[in-house]
Amino acid sequence: MFRYESLEDCPLDEDEDAFQGLGEEDEEIDQFNDDTFGSGAVDDDWQEAHERLAELEEKLPVTVNEQTGNGERDERDEMDLLGDHEENLAERLSKMVIENELEDPAIMRAVQTRPVLQPQPGSLNSSIWDGSEVLRRIRGPLLAQEMPTVSVLEYALPQRPPQGPEDDRDLSERALPRRSTSPIIGSPPVRAVPIGTPPKQMAVPSFNQQQILCPKPVHVRPPMPPRYPAPYGDRMSPNQLCSVPNSSLLGHPFPPGVPPVLSPLQRAQLLGGAQLQPGRMSPSQFARVPGFVGSPLAAMNPKLLQGRVGQMLPPAPGFRAFFSAPPPATPPPQQHPPGSGPHLQNLRSQAPLFRPDTTHLHPQHRRLLHQRQQQNRNQHRNLNGAGDRGSHRTSHQDHLRKDPYANLMLQREKDWVSKIQMMQLQSTDPYLDDFYYQNYFEKLEKLSAAEDMPGDGPKKERTKLITPQVARLEHAYKPVQFEGSLGKLTVSSVNNPRKMIDAVVTSRSEDDETKEKQVRDKRRKTLVIIEKTYSLLLDVEDYERRYLLSLEEERPALMDERKHKICSMYDNLRGKLPGQERPSDDHFIQIMCIRKGKRMVARILPFLSTEQAADILMTTARNLPFLIKKDAQDEVLPCLLSPFSLLLYHLPSVTVTSLLRQLMNLPQSAAAPAPSSPPLTAVLQNKFGLSLLLILLSRGEDLQSSDPTTESTQNNQWTEVMFMATRELLRIPQAALAKPISIPTNLVSLFSRYVDRQKLNLLETKLQLVQGIR
Amino acid sequence: MNYMPGTASLIEDIDKKHLVLLRDGRTLIGFLRSIDQFANLVLHQTVERIHVGTKYGDIPRGIFVVRGENVVLLGEIDLEKESDTPLQQVSIEEILEEQRVEQQTKLEAEKLKVQALKDRGLSIPRADTLDEY
Repeated sequence: MFRYESLEDCPLDEDEDAFQGLGEEDEEIDQFNDDTFGSGAVDDDWQEAHERLAELEEKLPVTVNEQTGNGERDERDEMDLLGDHEENLAERLSKMVIENELEDPAIMRAVQTRPVLQPQPGSLNSSIWDGSEVLRRIRGPLLAQEMPTVSVLEYALPQRPPQGPEDDRDLSERALPRRSTSPIIGSPPVRAVPIGTPPKQMAVPSFNQQQILCPKPVHVRPPMPPRYPAPYGDRMSPNQLCSVPNSSLLGHPFPPGVPPVLSPLQRAQLLGGAQLQPGRMSPSQFARVPGFVGSPLAAMNPKLLQGRVGQMLPPAPGFRAFFSAPPPATPPPQQHPPGSGPHLQNLRSQAPLFRPDTTHLHPQHRRLLHQRQQQNRNQHRNLNGAGDRGSHRTSHQDHLRKDPYANLMLQREKDWVSKIQMMQLQSTDPYLDDFYYQNYFEKLEKLSAAEDMPGDGPKKERTKLITPQVARLEHAYKPVQFEGSLGKLTVSSVNNPRKMIDAVVTSRSEDDETKEKQVRDKRRKTLVIIEKTYSLLLDVEDYERRYLLSLEEERPALMDERKHKICSMYDNLRGKLPGQERPSDDHFIQIMCIRKGKRMVARILPFLSTEQAADILMTTARNLPFLIKKDAQDEVLPCLLSPFSLLLYHLPSVTVTSLLRQLMNLPQSAAAPAPSSPPLTAVLQNKFGLSLLLILLSRGEDLQSSDPTTESTQNNQWTEVMFMATRELLRIPQAALAKPISIPTNLVSLFSRYVDRQKLNLLETKLQLVQGIR
Repeated sequence: MNYMPGTASLIEDIDKKHLVLLRDGRTLIGFLRSIDQFANLVLHQTVERIHVGTKYGDIPRGIFVVRGENVVLLGEIDLEKESDTPLQQVSIEEILEEQRVEQQTKLEAEKLKVQALKDRGLSIPRADTLDEY
């Protein structure tokens, strides 16, 4: 690990390196951490390295890039400096490469061609990457070797003798950039761990693109630390919960024994830079990734290869739970050398499907996501294949291409942040936590299913949504105890909160209160009752879903619970008084005066038994004028119409008749303005009232006409009611009449039996019973 | 690959030019380099833009680290359309001067208003952001 003993050791450098370097620090000491206890802990003499680099530098010509714009002047100076180092490194690399056992002349050729290439500050060197022949040549021997000697990363780092067998350690962990520290201003100690840094998985020498201009990227070496299995899972602090379910979902992220694909740097490169340069970097990476067709990372490469614009967020291994499926059919490692030939082409062409793990998402949602991915893929495939430079996207790419500060935030860090965000979405009960999301996608699904129905059959996936349920971890909180101390620590924390306010509930006696307070209290009580009843209602509505999810044995218990809750709801509505019949409607009226109460009653009605519901309806009818008056501002009563009409279909004619009679004989309230306007007028003038009346009439008519065996008394009553209704309807001026929500169709026939022609016409026009021209 | 479409994740905004409006009214324009779970932002090559009327002036500020809770909103700037604005850029001194003048006129108007109200016996309590009671 490249560490500095003191501030003075650190050379002045780009500031961008500093915080990235700091980010590499681990928050916990890991016993198996190479950096701390292994090879990484060895400090190297950077001065030596620097001198060696300087030697290299003299050999390679450094050409200034004319392309850089004015804005990049200052950056360019710095970049030149680094560029020089690159050249040095390049030379050093070439030397080292040659020293190694590479016998392939292609490599040599490739290596030797490098000095010709100019480093372009702010952009990745494209020339070497474009030539697929070169790459193919490189690929072969590179694949053969398990341990490439030097990584591109290390160009700026202290020189290390070519490592033979040690290379399977994570070389990249040692390849830290020079820290940007200033002896004047001072920098935080190298080992300080900033709060909130993602824990270090693999030390990522986060270079800017400018530093990666090394034109001699012979190879990548495997940055695979020996304990690669689930590095993210173990060490990501926010991932403790994640890793539990996730590990079962995926196998080993990488098949063991296969040399890891990319160094973190190159991955960062790929994601940040190469993604913007179709066909640039990736082929070389591909060269090393024969066995990884299936792996998510490799799978990302074809995408990158296709020049995907914008940030790409391949799932880090630890993040797999959310976004990746187990790598499909990873070819065995032995396949590398022989299979590498056609690989590049294959990889380029087939773009192995990267299937993120979206099981937690709704199938509809998943489809949307895949569609988008497809679109993007196609888009960029076209972009890449056609070489279409005219597209506006490429200008954006150009901008990003020239951005030397891109990818300061590593992919790993991005994944870390998104992992935190995803963690927040985990839930044990998605229907509870994420109700609207679930419902929305269910609705979409139903819609699309409805559209599909004629013909397609089960073409689309009709999978049941399975959300990953995180086991609720029960933590028994034990307060901290020290041995030998007297008593316990009084430390208050989230788990052990301390009482801050001593709020004592004092109930006031009735006498003390004034009238207004009483009224207010009563209203508050009503509100509380409404809230409680609403909770019951939501539970009851939820039972259906719970049935589906529950086991057979549990179901009777659920049913009982449900019944019980329905009863309590009804009691709440009607105001249960101990041991008494329900004498007063007062309680119910109070509830009905409140907007939420009305809506709630409308929702509760379907769950009540017929008698209970009829009772509610009767009470409503009894107090209709009052309710109408109270509803003047809210105008919510019409919501009750539909459940009422449904209810009416189940009611016998007796009830209907009595209901109608109730409406007709509404008690005159004391505050009624004049005897000439019976309460029925108010009812008729109200939308809900009129609609209710009409529905009642219609229903009565249905019953009468369908059931010829009704008693004569009933008939009389009915006729009486009808006369009253028609009389009232005729009396009221049309302008005052409300517009009913719905007009039952059989009213014409109904009225025709009781009134003469002239009046019938009048009624018809008033109520607009007849549509169209008579 | 896109993250869940429903989420407001800043990850896809990284390395893009953004305009950030802060709670104290400042407008910052810079490249979003890094974020964290609190939506703390690291802006690079930041420029503080002051708008007065149809004029604006840019003050280069370098690197900004903004605490997430102070951000009102932020949005990506389309680099192609960025120059396509009816606003006129002026020098820093000029815009600062304009801003000062604007503040002054506002203060005076406010003073007049308060005075007029006081004369009529009314007083509007100032909405202090810290005072929530």
